[in-house]
Amino acid sequence: MLRIKLYSIFVDDQAKALRFYTDVLGFMKSQDIPVGGGFRWLTVRAADGGDTELSLEPNVNPAARAYQQALLAQGIPVTAFEVDDLQAEFERLRRADVEFTKPPTQMGPVSIAIFVDTCGNLIQLYQRQRS
Amino acid sequence: MLTQELLVRMCRARAALLDLDADVTVASLAQASRLSRSQFIARYRAAFGDTPHQTRIRARLERAKWLLATTRLTVTDICMAVGCSSLGSFSSLFRLRSGESPAQFKARFSELDQSQRAASVAPDCLSLMAAAWTQSDFSRSAEPDEPLESAS
Repeated sequence: MLRIKLYSIFVDDQAKALRFYTDVLGFMKSQDIPVGGGFRWLTVRAADGGDTELSLEPNVNPAARAYQQALLAQGIPVTAFEVDDLQAEFERLRRADVEFTKPPTQMGPVSIAIFVDTCGNLIQLYQRQRS
Repeated sequence: MLTQELLVRMCRARAALLDLDADVTVASLAQASRLSRSQFIARYRAAFGDTPHQTRIRARLERAKWLLATTRLTVTDICMAVGCSSLGSFSSLFRLRSGESPAQFKARFSELDQSQRAASVAPDCLSLMAAAWTQSDFSRSAEPDEPLESAS
């Protein structure tokens, strides 16, 4: 069986990314290992104790940066996080000055919203419809 | 709400700030974004977590690291090449952000071959994970704020 336990997202500055992903979004820092050159192996995970890790990966590679910039300018979120109450998260993040490109919107069986993560990515939040 | 149109304009402003060959001012970027200077800085900061000025500084330091690691240019030449006019302020800013002086940074790379140099300045997920793996028990989860040994 193949499991999904690790996913990575490009960020333009690891220290800034860690602040946003923990202080603003509310993830927990998981691994933080300096590897030289000012870079870190840096991961966060959900505050509820989930063991899937998100690596905050520097986008210094020009290919990574071009990919990230093109997706952002086209309004495409590659990464999505599930939430229990989309409206509440939207309001909480708005109070923290997070810029949304799409307010909570019903899309078939889910409602979604999209924000900018301050590190060069659009992130989609989604809430499944309660059955 | 950040409209698609404003997002595109902000992305263009950020790309210009990251491109050291582009001669831009905050005033010209604000005008191109059709915002007042203060609105532009506030919206830019909310979207990118940095002021426009901080973005340009980061671009200069990244470019300087790349040049220090991969070329034989002197620290003074690199300071000028990335658009810093004062060697003293360049060196102290570099030290503040990287934890070592430009000369110390350059010296660390002198014994590496070209591909090792590139990988060290522009690491990817796999090289970061490999570097972390070789120096600690990777399966262990670090406690938040637990002091960790430096790689050097």
